[in-house]
Amino acid sequence: MTVDTAPSGSSFHAARRSKFARQLLMGVTVTAIYAFLLTPILIIILSSFNTTSANTFPTDGVSLQWYREFLESPSFISAFQFSAWLGIVAAVGATIIGFLTAYGIVRYMGSYREVAQSIAMLPIMVPHILISISLLILLTVVPIPELAGLIIGHIIICLPFTVAGILASLDGVDPQLERAAWTLGASRMRILWEIVIPLIAPGLFSSLIFAFIISFGDVYIALFLSGPGMTTLPIEIFSYMQWESTPVIAAITTVQIIMIFGLGLIIERMVGLRQIMRI
Amino acid sequence: MTQEPVLEIKDIVKRYGDIQALGPVGISVREGEFLTLLGPSGCGKTTTLHIIAGLTEPTEGTVSMKGRDITALEPPQRDMGLVFQNYALFPHKSIFDNVAFGLRMRRVPKPVIKERVDRVLDLVGLPDVGSRYPSELSGGQRQRVAVARAVVIEPSILLLDEPLSNLDAVLRKRMRLDLREIQQRLGITTIFVTHDQDEAFEMSDRVILMNNGGIEQSGPPEEMYDKPESQFAAEFIGEANLVEARVVAIEPGALKVKVAEAIFTAPAGKMAVSEGDLVTVMVRPERIEVSKTPVNGGNTLQGKVTGRVFSGDQIALTMQVAEGLEILCSKPSTAHYRDLRLGDPVWISADDCWVLPRAGVKTEGAK
Amino acid sequence: MNNSGRLFSAFLFGPIGIVYLLFLLAPIGFFLSMSLFRYDAFELYVPTVTSENFERVLTDSYYREIIFRTLKIAFLTCFFSLMLGYPLAYFLARSKSRWRGVLMFLVIAPLMSGIIVRTYGWIILLGQDGAVNKTLMTIGLISQPLQILNTEIAVLLALVHILMPYMVFPLFSALASQDPDVERAAGTLGAGRIRTFIEVTLPLSRTGILMGTALVFTLTAGAVVTPALLGGKDVQMLGQQIYDLILTTLNWPLASAVAFVLVVCQFLIIALYFRGGRHGPM
Repeated sequence: MTVDTAPSGSSFHAARRSKFARQLLMGVTVTAIYAFLLTPILIIILSSFNTTSANTFPTDGVSLQWYREFLESPSFISAFQFSAWLGIVAAVGATIIGFLTAYGIVRYMGSYREVAQSIAMLPIMVPHILISISLLILLTVVPIPELAGLIIGHIIICLPFTVAGILASLDGVDPQLERAAWTLGASRMRILWEIVIPLIAPGLFSSLIFAFIISFGDVYIALFLSGPGMTTLPIEIFSYMQWESTPVIAAITTVQIIMIFGLGLIIERMVGLRQIMRI
Repeated sequence: MTQEPVLEIKDIVKRYGDIQALGPVGISVREGEFLTLLGPSGCGKTTTLHIIAGLTEPTEGTVSMKGRDITALEPPQRDMGLVFQNYALFPHKSIFDNVAFGLRMRRVPKPVIKERVDRVLDLVGLPDVGSRYPSELSGGQRQRVAVARAVVIEPSILLLDEPLSNLDAVLRKRMRLDLREIQQRLGITTIFVTHDQDEAFEMSDRVILMNNGGIEQSGPPEEMYDKPESQFAAEFIGEANLVEARVVAIEPGALKVKVAEAIFTAPAGKMAVSEGDLVTVMVRPERIEVSKTPVNGGNTLQGKVTGRVFSGDQIALTMQVAEGLEILCSKPSTAHYRDLRLGDPVWISADDCWVLPRAGVKTEGAK
Repeated sequence: MNNSGRLFSAFLFGPIGIVYLLFLLAPIGFFLSMSLFRYDAFELYVPTVTSENFERVLTDSYYREIIFRTLKIAFLTCFFSLMLGYPLAYFLARSKSRWRGVLMFLVIAPLMSGIIVRTYGWIILLGQDGAVNKTLMTIGLISQPLQILNTEIAVLLALVHILMPYMVFPLFSALASQDPDVERAAGTLGAGRIRTFIEVTLPLSRTGILMGTALVFTLTAGAVVTPALLGGKDVQMLGQQIYDLILTTLNWPLASAVAFVLVVCQFLIIALYFRGGRHGPM
């Protein structure tokens, strides 16, 4: 083993060169991976403008016919509307329940916090089809409307994310504030409503949006629980794809991507994506 | 004129599992007084305050206010105002809404709220900040808003938990006077917690010194300073020279004790002593007389200057008067005292001294 | 805690408790227990206890092949997701550029577009007239379009693509919370970059790797849509089997047995990983 000495001229430059080489290698690798990640998405967006009905790429010419077909198709439009409505309901449900749970964990669990958090994360560890099938079976036994089953299924898969996200927001709230409000005579509900919720508003809103995105994009829960009159957009696309395959799907998908892109930007503005990636 | 105490805590004990953190402790608070709980960290002062406030339940003992037992009551139901260490102002509410919060919870009608909030903001010296937000205010201003918020509900007692700890030294000094002034203007009974002895002395009518979960001594600041009842009290409050001595004679109102090779006369105090007991003699550094000219009679010792620190307006001299015994003396830096240099032989007089029990013992009957 | 406190706690934890117990755990428990019942063409199942479903799943060569294939693809997906996801997570965690937010978003965005979307993208890419074939032909590597769709490779590619972000999240979390000074310290002690990585960074990101692998494994094992669309009849995985058995064949007990096997495999793998994590070389 050699002793470290002050770098001489040439070895210093060698170190600089190797650092540059390292960074170059890293840069190239990362760019390649990003390319892998994003290319299929780009392809979809581009082929939505195909002039022919083939799923070819690259295309020759640009056409909006597939968008028109999407907008004129009653089944796709109603599926889109249903997915949006379902997404809002599931998001609101998951956010409310997630907030109550997260608040309970943060203020009442003390040293059991990690355990409680792990329990809240349970649905992540269960394959979605299992959740879905089990709910389906429950519906045959218990007289709950199918729509409720679908909503509950979506709430279940969204909960781990809303709980984690709101937990992170709540960590930034000084418990002393709640204590001060309490000593001034505020009831627990009032403390939640007037002190806690306003202070985590951005986090709540982001959880809402994130849950909406999860619900909108879900396939497996809807796979077993959707039915006539209650088809989500992904399921509608899935069915369509099993018989036909035209770029109208690319058009729908592109619309979906844009919508999610917009929502994601809002989240980024509100709390930054770092928070969500820390789940 | 004796009055029924506004607040009384009796036989309070707080245990965490097997560990006794506090007690038994008993305190009586008079109407309108500014009482400070003083002590080092971990002495139990904050726990005591929390028990008074209702934020912590005592394991044993009672808390009563104006004769009524409030031990079982929660903080909002006690007639008290709290100022937290970090002020805990609601960042998303305006100053007006912050101060008005407590009144709103009590369903006070809106016009009355406005009138009272304006009045109290005026009182704390912040007449025009109602529409501003906590983040726009300075530390000292936030402090006052916190006081305003606690006081606007017109509680019988105001409790402050080390409210000045987060301020810088200059601001701290200024806020001390301000707080004291506000308290006197309102005439509200106040209990204040701090570890800063200067602070406690500057602001309080009465100081309760605590240590290791118990009360060491209680009394007006001057009494605490002049007549500490234990070594801890003597050392925590100001500087003290503490010297071991033995009682050689007991006279009416005075004690004769042997210090090094000399015999000192000291006031008798409340201690119960017998001839031959070991005690501690205390002299405050500023009360020692030093001179190069020999002195006879009184409590005198001979010695040599072994240390000298000049700090502008003061001079601190360390003098060795016997084997292993050094005395610290601090005097204004007049020509007379500046003239004393290292190595000079000197005569020390400690006529103004006080006797404490020997180390580890408290004077009986401390309350 | 006093009474109002207990009521409040119930208010806070009640909702999630009810949802998880009533709608998650109980139904799943019931469904999995169906694996012990006998299949009946008319009533879907008859509550007599039998082991025939498990026997069939574990001994029939058809099912064995599917189990094996599912595990194989799951492992490979985990492996490649890790290989691709780690550099990405590392880069993002250590990056100080102001584009970091955007770059992070680009990882999440595909994830949020939904499985169908991305599967469809791969269909376009890998089809006879797809970009991959077209490119390869243009370069001259092949003279005829390859049959990539309906192969295991297609499924693998798509799964890795879809699930990689799920690997990146926990890795990023673990790497970002590492104190960068630890790496620097190793450097000053004389360790080269590779050494530092192997002996310092990698072990410290262990929890991230475990979490990511567990997540990706779960998602792969339960996949239905991607294998169905990209693999077709030739590449059957456990997920599709369950789907068919529930909705087409209507043999629920058998479906339950298959699901049971799926869950057991998953737990075994995860448990193995976590044990390895705790008693591993550290």
